[in-house]
Amino acid sequence: MNGIGRRTLLQATAAAGLVRLTSPFIISARGDSPVRIGMVDPLTGAYAAPARNEVMGAQLAVARLNAKGGVLGRQVELLVEDSANDVGTGVQKARKLIERDNVSFMIGDVNSAIAQAIAQVTNEKGLLQIVSGGHTDPITGTDCKWNVYRVCNTTRMEANSVCDVLFKKYGPKWHFITPDYAFGHTLQSAIEANLKTLGGTVTGAELTPLGTSDFSAYLIKARSANPNVIILLVQGQDMVNCLKQIVQFGINKQIPVAGTQQELESLEALPPEARIGNWMFEWYWNQPDVPHLAEFVADIRKVNGGKVPTARHWFGFTSVMSFALAAAQANSIDSLKLAHALSDLELPPEVKLQPNKVFYRGGDHQLMLSAFVGEARAHGPQDPEDLFKVDRVVAGSDIAPPVADTGCTLHWPA
Amino acid sequence: MTELLLFNVTNGLIIGAFYVLMALGLSLILNLSGVINFAHGGFLALGGYLAYTLTPHVGFWGALLLSPLLTAALGLVLERLLIRRLYGRDPLYSLLLTFGLAFIFEDGTRFVWGAQGLPVSVPAFLNQPVSNELFFITYYRLFMVAVVAVAVAALFLFLRYSRVGIRIRAGTLDLETVSTLGVNVGRLRAINFGAGIFLAGLSGVLAGGQLGLDPTMGSGLLMPSFIAIIVGGVGSLPGTLVGGLLIGVAAGVTAVFVPSASDAVMYVLMAVVLLARPRGLMGEEGLMT
Repeated sequence: MNGIGRRTLLQATAAAGLVRLTSPFIISARGDSPVRIGMVDPLTGAYAAPARNEVMGAQLAVARLNAKGGVLGRQVELLVEDSANDVGTGVQKARKLIERDNVSFMIGDVNSAIAQAIAQVTNEKGLLQIVSGGHTDPITGTDCKWNVYRVCNTTRMEANSVCDVLFKKYGPKWHFITPDYAFGHTLQSAIEANLKTLGGTVTGAELTPLGTSDFSAYLIKARSANPNVIILLVQGQDMVNCLKQIVQFGINKQIPVAGTQQELESLEALPPEARIGNWMFEWYWNQPDVPHLAEFVADIRKVNGGKVPTARHWFGFTSVMSFALAAAQANSIDSLKLAHALSDLELPPEVKLQPNKVFYRGGDHQLMLSAFVGEARAHGPQDPEDLFKVDRVVAGSDIAPPVADTGCTLHWPA
Repeated sequence: MTELLLFNVTNGLIIGAFYVLMALGLSLILNLSGVINFAHGGFLALGGYLAYTLTPHVGFWGALLLSPLLTAALGLVLERLLIRRLYGRDPLYSLLLTFGLAFIFEDGTRFVWGAQGLPVSVPAFLNQPVSNELFFITYYRLFMVAVVAVAVAALFLFLRYSRVGIRIRAGTLDLETVSTLGVNVGRLRAINFGAGIFLAGLSGVLAGGQLGLDPTMGSGLLMPSFIAIIVGGVGSLPGTLVGGLLIGVAAGVTAVFVPSASDAVMYVLMAVVLLARPRGLMGEEGLMT
């Protein structure tokens, strides 16, 4: 044992064990050459909850595909990597999935900035990518790419779906609590554009750093501006903290609170008295008379500790299913052929799980998904997780700006 | 504008009081053992989550007491098994160890309680504002300040008058001499570490009631606590107290004028203090080197 003692050996064993732990989770597959799908999402950090739900949805899609023979007769493997909510890490993981694991298709990320950075990598490598959960407009706007599609909404679609409702219900003077990064900025300007058209005014905007835990200073300012409504654009844990403090301070009894995007993950993290306001959901689990929905809800409940799917589960699920649909149509997993096949592709009922026509718009690669506009409620009447009362479901094509207004020009490879 | 400013100064003091509680725990451990405890935020989150689990059985008040004790007990186990081995070595070792522990805590919390945030219920009478005018002062926030005041007073009395407290203070100044005098330094460090972690657990329960629970909650609150120590002066507990209140007020006042800079102002304050007075406002010369 020259130079290698017991300690060294133990350390090496421990290190080897850790390396095993950091390997991606691989859904076991049968067959000689499975089709590999790479997924990069922030499994740790502030967006861990939505990211894990996206992965769960993608895993369900893979299981369903494999049960029916896979994609083009080949089994599917899902390789999941953690971007840790960090752009550098996300890019590194995406490169690793492409260069070392030879994935045929990429999904990710919840964080807009990481999604954009990964899109640079996939574009450079000529690989098809579906952005599952990053909302900032340039992804299917000024920064759009031939190989990048997006499942979730743009911020303009979100704003267009709900602004008129908020204006009619609350009045013309709005005050924003906005997260200080790409998503928040684009969302606020989209809402301001709507508000201007409607004839309203902005009393002020509090730009809050991502990950703010105490919103009291901003709320003191917002209340003193005396608006008709406080519009919350923060997301995730920031949304939870902000809404909770608004209710603790009793601000909602004097000034109503509302916003655009709301998520079931956030409503469930709130105490009942703080589940208030008008919002839009990007997808909702409880819809009447939607084919195949009950089966999807039941399947997710099985793997989610009995809890219902959120929009994030559907994003992950739809991202994988879109790849399979495109592959079937193109009869290939070549990225260029897949990208052409996805253009204007309409999702079938077993994938879209909602009313209205849902399709990838060819001009900017944005999915035209419905917006579920309604109101948060303290308790579900039938199911404890039915925390959102949907008042209307708007078709994506009715709220998306025309392609010409998105700033997107697609450059296809020769 | 004056009213807005006054509101935010008061609000900043309330936030600062909370930073103080967490920073004092960090400071205790750093001063005596030289351990830069990056896992402090993890202990905080654990305190909050344990309270969430305990509340249905023992109520909020029972959880407020039991949860920090359980967190401190786990802290003592980790101190015995891992941290103790690194005393006397370069602080980098304990920094790396606790940095790793912080990750384990965060993922462990996620594994046990889930990645999704959880709401914590506090007694209804605490969850309302004192008055319509002073809407940002809720009874819960007042209660938090009171708990912080009691904890700080108890800590200072303990360090000032109890035998163990006096030894801890003596050890902070010259551990070698204290050891030579026959004091069991190992046990002293363990008690000190346990007390520090108790404060982290208590901060966690209080933060849970105010903000709800999230596996990442500790890391968000950790940096202001470090800044409070550096601004106040490493080695000085009164300095930590002043540092915590100061950065709370600075963040609150900045939010009136430049909301997006309210986080950054803490770092600016730290930089200014380090440039003008490297040992911190109340720190002792030489401890920062």
